[in-house]
Amino acid sequence: MNLPILLLLLGLMVVAAVAAVMIRSLLKSAIALAALSIVLAITLFFLGAPLAALFELSVCAGLITVIFISAISLTGNKPKEEEEEKIRERRARFLKLPIFLLIIGVFVSLAWIANGINISGISDPAAPTFQTFKNLFWNMRQVDILGQVIVILAGAFAVVVLFKERDQA
Amino acid sequence: MDNLLLIITGSWIALPLLVILICNLLDKKTGKSWALPAAIVVSIGQMITTGLGLLQLGLTKSGFINFTIFWNVNDFEEIARSAWASAFFSVDTLSLVVMFAIGMVSLISVLTAKKMNPDKALNFTNLLMVLIMGMNGLAMVADLFSLYVFLEITGVASFILIALYKDKKGLEGSFKYLIMSAMASAMILAGIAIMNAVTGGVTFSHISGLFASGSSLHTFHAISLVLLVAGIAIKAGLAPFHGWLPDAYESAPASVSVLLGGIVTKMAGVYAILRLAQDVFINAKGFNYSLLLLATVSIVYGAVAALKQKDFKRILAYSSISQIGYIVLGAVCGSPLGFIGAMLHFFNHATFKSTLFVNSAALESQVKTRNIEEMGGLAKQMPLTGTSSVLALLSTAGIPPLAGFWSKLLIIIAVWQTGHSLIAGIAVFASVFTLAYFLMIQRKVFYGPAEEKFAGVREVKGGLAVSQVMLSVITVVMGIIFPLVLLFFQTRGMI
Repeated sequence: MNLPILLLLLGLMVVAAVAAVMIRSLLKSAIALAALSIVLAITLFFLGAPLAALFELSVCAGLITVIFISAISLTGNKPKEEEEEKIRERRARFLKLPIFLLIIGVFVSLAWIANGINISGISDPAAPTFQTFKNLFWNMRQVDILGQVIVILAGAFAVVVLFKERDQA
Repeated sequence: MDNLLLIITGSWIALPLLVILICNLLDKKTGKSWALPAAIVVSIGQMITTGLGLLQLGLTKSGFINFTIFWNVNDFEEIARSAWASAFFSVDTLSLVVMFAIGMVSLISVLTAKKMNPDKALNFTNLLMVLIMGMNGLAMVADLFSLYVFLEITGVASFILIALYKDKKGLEGSFKYLIMSAMASAMILAGIAIMNAVTGGVTFSHISGLFASGSSLHTFHAISLVLLVAGIAIKAGLAPFHGWLPDAYESAPASVSVLLGGIVTKMAGVYAILRLAQDVFINAKGFNYSLLLLATVSIVYGAVAALKQKDFKRILAYSSISQIGYIVLGAVCGSPLGFIGAMLHFFNHATFKSTLFVNSAALESQVKTRNIEEMGGLAKQMPLTGTSSVLALLSTAGIPPLAGFWSKLLIIIAVWQTGHSLIAGIAVFASVFTLAYFLMIQRKVFYGPAEEKFAGVREVKGGLAVSQVMLSVITVVMGIIFPLVLLFFQTRGMI
């Protein structure tokens, strides 16, 4: 894959990450986090790790977002003024963070380019030996699929146990 | 024969799944009343099928059984050799012994829940089934990444079980466990990722082959090992990574304490150590020595800290830290004898720690307190609880001829033989402390002057009484037939 698309995706990821931290509404923040996971999944897919992409997509973008949103929908908001103050205070405190990360990111990228590391070379060395994605997923890692089904089941029960009775009250 | 084997192996995942389906698709009332009996069927079924599995291993003398859970892969042989596949489960003697313990402790936990937590029957059963599937998967996997996946399932199910009543204490204990466990998971996952990057594979056989070939160690191998050891030590509750364990045990509902203390922490942490020490890092000195040190610290720390506690469940939690130390000691001392001792101490610890947690539930239900300072002279009113508690504690402390004596003996002999005589000495000495704190419990709770206010206390009936009798019988019988069990395993080439 070529560098511009990768950089674009990485940029999008940074934007989504900053948005997840900075956005006022918790719901939108959770959605931004899901967007981050989706972009990360696409990046992983392009870098030749389809399996990691798939798990990132289904667990991080799917399951965790569902749990977040169900938790958020059950909690109330703070009064407007208190919230505004909290946000202002937080902006002042955390604005340094993205700037700091950006500087580190630039340094790392420069070091990377200076050393001439080829991005397309970074992929799973074992991957080419499996002919198709279908074989890889359904045959080679079927134990993990079972595991994933059970994880989702556990997540569903977590929502039932921890959140359901509040509706009845 | 093949069909029977297919049913046996399939049932370890399919049976819990079936119970979840049946109990949740029925209407709410029927589902609730069917839930606990169905869970009892699953637990007993698991004990029977693992027993049959052990018999099968003994008859065929093959050492292990490989099987797929969904469908057969066409080129099974080729995939089995691949460094990157996780297409099948694999069970050997260790897996089957721990799966038998899973079935046994689940049964005890359900019987306890019937008496102590009947109002949460459906939710408890659902989560217990998820937990059983997670732990069974953990016992059967053959690669590092799947091990991690099933560790997570076991973790998630137990966080929710601890917070089942959503009371402040339960949520606090659950939260502590969640945070520590999340850190552990992050470390384990990072360790696996680095291991995959430097060795090019994640299956046990692939990685152990690399370590066995004696090729020089990369720095990244060491980093990966450090992360894996730290993560697994947190999950196992080895000192000094044990901070969450007493709180989680104490704050959980009675039936969940039985599960946690009896099997869950041991599956999530100690089983992983046993499996990795036997199959993967058998030649990795760093892995073995660091865990040897942590195990010794745990043995001493757990025993000393237990002396100072007042809450019955907290004493048991610290005692668990100490006993887990013994199991790990046997697993990593590097001799097959120690490993056999560790495997059987795993089973014995599941038996006697469940007994003690059931005793704690019995006291809680009859006396309405767990503070040992407030109790006294209860042996007269509660003879069954008192007797089973004495048997369990003697077994924990390693008094012959009970089951705990044999496994502890094997571990200490093995540690001595491998040249760690100082550690063996410490282990023996800590056993005396074990006896000390358990005698203290006995004196304060069951013997000594009888308190006036407990005159109306009666012995427990039903599930709790059945569990106490069953576990005591297992402790005594295992102690008597222990040499025969060892002989059977050995002549059949199973260990």
